[in-house]
Amino acid sequence: MAEISVADVTKTYGKKKNAFLALSGINVEIPDGVTVAIVGKSGSGKSTLMHAMSGLDRPEQGEVIVDGENILKLKAKQVDIFRSKKMAFVFQSFFVQGNDTCYSNVSLPLEIGRVPFRRRKARIMRALTSVGLEEKAHSKAKNLSGGEKQRLAIARAIVSEPRVLFADEPTGNLDSVTGAKIEKLLFDYARENHATLIVVTHDHDLASRCDMQVYLKDGKVERIEKRDGTSIQPEQITEGVIKRPLGGPRKVAVQ
Amino acid sequence: MRRFDIMRRAARNLKQAKGRTFLTSLAIGVGAFTLTMALAAGQGTRDYADKLLKNNVDPQAMFIVKDKSLFQQGGTIGLREYDPDVSTNSSGRPGTTIKQLNESDITYFNSRGDLTNVIPTYTLSPKWVQFEGNTKKYIGSVDYYDATILNETKAGTLPTLGTQIADSDATIPQTYAETLGVDAGSLIGKTVSITFAQQATTASDAQIQQAFAAGGTQAVQDLLSPQEKTFTYTIRAVTKTPTMSFSATPRISISASSARIANAYQTTGTTSSGKYSSVTALVKSGSSPDTVKADLESHGYGAETAKDAQSILFTIVNTLQGIVAGFGLLTLLASLFGIINTQYISVLERTSQIGLMKALGMSKKAIAKLFRYEAAWIGLLGGALGAAVAFITGTLANPAISKALDIGDSQILEFVWWQIAAMIGALVLIAIIAGWLPSRKAAKLDPIEALRTE
Repeated sequence: MAEISVADVTKTYGKKKNAFLALSGINVEIPDGVTVAIVGKSGSGKSTLMHAMSGLDRPEQGEVIVDGENILKLKAKQVDIFRSKKMAFVFQSFFVQGNDTCYSNVSLPLEIGRVPFRRRKARIMRALTSVGLEEKAHSKAKNLSGGEKQRLAIARAIVSEPRVLFADEPTGNLDSVTGAKIEKLLFDYARENHATLIVVTHDHDLASRCDMQVYLKDGKVERIEKRDGTSIQPEQITEGVIKRPLGGPRKVAVQ
Repeated sequence: MRRFDIMRRAARNLKQAKGRTFLTSLAIGVGAFTLTMALAAGQGTRDYADKLLKNNVDPQAMFIVKDKSLFQQGGTIGLREYDPDVSTNSSGRPGTTIKQLNESDITYFNSRGDLTNVIPTYTLSPKWVQFEGNTKKYIGSVDYYDATILNETKAGTLPTLGTQIADSDATIPQTYAETLGVDAGSLIGKTVSITFAQQATTASDAQIQQAFAAGGTQAVQDLLSPQEKTFTYTIRAVTKTPTMSFSATPRISISASSARIANAYQTTGTTSSGKYSSVTALVKSGSSPDTVKADLESHGYGAETAKDAQSILFTIVNTLQGIVAGFGLLTLLASLFGIINTQYISVLERTSQIGLMKALGMSKKAIAKLFRYEAAWIGLLGGALGAAVAFITGTLANPAISKALDIGDSQILEFVWWQIAAMIGALVLIAIIAGWLPSRKAAKLDPIEALRTE
C-alpha cells in the first residue's frame, strides 16, 4: 500500500489575471518507507508539492492520501493533529529557536503532540544523542554552528518518531562536509525506522542517493525515476486524469 | 498542546525578551501602582472614619432637630411665615433662620418609649474659668459630659461607660493642666469655677426708677449691667485628648444637668431661653435607629442616625477614591495600547517561529493561546510590580503621613491582600483582552509565508 498518494493536485496562487499555476495536475505515488527526492529548479513547484503533501497547504483540486486518509478532506484541526503525529520537517534555514536551549527546542514537538511530561526527557535525550548533541542539551541554540543547528533541527524532527520526514533543501546552507553528515543522519533515520524521507532539493548528488526521484518543471511532473532503473513519464500516470482549468501553466519565478 | 506547556512556553518567550517585557509591564505597573494606592487610601480613610465615628458616636445615637432644612444644603433661604419658634441663629450664616426645639418637644421625646438620654445641645459660653490656687482668669470651652464615650484619663477616674458624672463634678483636658503649668494629678479634688453671664437686659423706665429709689445709681448700674454667676465644680479627672476625635478642641466637661442649669441661667430673658437647636438621644437597644428616624420624621422632626453621618463621610471618601482610581484606569488604558503594540511587534518578529510551530502541528487555537498567555504574564508581572512598589512605599510612608495628619496610630494607607489580588486578577484579564488582536494575527499567519522568511 502506498504511504503517500498524490492524485491530480492543482494549486493556484494569486487571483484572476495574476493567477499562477504552481502545481498542475500532479500525480505521484510514494510507497511506504522509501526515500524520495523532489528535484527541480526554483519555481518548479517542488516546495509547494511538499507543502501540499504535508497538509500545510491546501490545493484547490485533487487528493492527497496519506496512510489511507485524504488529508484535504480533514478539518484544519485534524490535519494539525495528523501532522504532529506522523510528520516532521527539516528546513534549509534550520528555524531553531536561538534563545532557547537545545533541550527546549527538541521538546516542542512532544509538547505539541501532548506527550506526558514524564515521558519526554528520555525521548528528547535519545534524539539529541542520535545527532551527537547530548553534551549541548542545555546550551542556547544560537551558540551552535550551522551544522549543529541543522543537527538540532533533525533531533527536533525525529523526536516525535514521524512516519514521514520532509527535508526542504536540508544541506543548502552548509558546506559539503557538514552537508554529508546531515544527509547521513536523515538517511539513517529513514532506514532504521522504515520511515519515508522526502527531500526537496536541486542538488543532483543528493537526489541520486534516494530510491526515487520526482522531477518537476513548471508545476508539472517531468519524469519519475526509480532506483530499479524504471523511468515513468507523466503520460503513463496522468492519462485521462489531468484537467487544465486555466489552460496551462504560466511561468513566474517564485522563491 | 497542554495549557501548562503553553503557559511555560509563554513565560520562557517573555524571559527571552527581558528588556521589552520589563518595559511593557512597567507601563501597566504605573497603573497598578496608582490603583493600589487608591484602594489602600480608600480603605484606610474609610477605616479611619469608621473608627472615628465609633469612638464618637454610639451606633444607637440619634441627632434630632426641628428643622429638616438643617440637613439640606445651606438651610432654608427665602421668605417664610413668622413663627415664634423661629430664631435667628447667630452662629450660622447671616440671615439663616432655623426652627428650634422647645421644652414641649423635649418632653415628647422623653415620653417616647424608644429614646433615652435625651440631651439638648446646650451651648455654653462661659465668660471665664478659674482654677483653685490660681488667681488668673482663663477663657476656656465648656461642654456637657458625653457618657457614650469613655476617654482615657491622665489622672483621676471616670464612671463606667453610659454613666454621667455627678452634678458637682467636672473633668478638664490634659492640655489645660499643661497651660496651667501644674501636674495633672495635683488638680484632682481641686475646684474649677466657671462664670457665666446673662445677656444685658433692657429695663423699662418704671424698673429703673424703682431701682434708683431703692439703691441709688449703684442699683441702676447693677440692673442694667449683665448679671454674672459663678458655678463651682470639683475636678474628678484630667482627660487625655483622644486621637479619634471629631472636635480637636479640648473642653471642660460638666454633667448634663449642670449644663442644663448653666444654659438656663445664660439664656434667661433671651429668645433662646428654653429653646435648643438640636437634641442628641440614644435609641433604646431593641429598636432600630432607622425605624425611630422614620417615625420622628413622620412627626415633623428632622433626624439623623449615626449611620447617616457615616454615609456622608463615606460619600466624600468614595468620591476622592474614585478620582484617584480614575487616573489609574487612564494609565492602564494607555498601557493596554503598549501591550497591543508590543505583542504585534512580537508576532512580526517571530513569524518564522510561528510558522515552524504550525508546521509541527500546533493548532491555531494553541498559537493564539500562547500569545494571550504572554500578554497575561505581562499583566501579572506589571500588576505585581506596581502593587509591590505601592505596598513598600505605602508602608514606609504611613508613619510620616499619620504624623503629618496627626491621627495617632491610624494608618491612611491600608493594604488589603484580597483587593490587591483582585486588582492583579483584573489586570491579567485586561491584558489578555489587549493581547487578543495580536494573538489572532499570529493564529491566522500563513505557515508557508512564515517559513519563507529569513
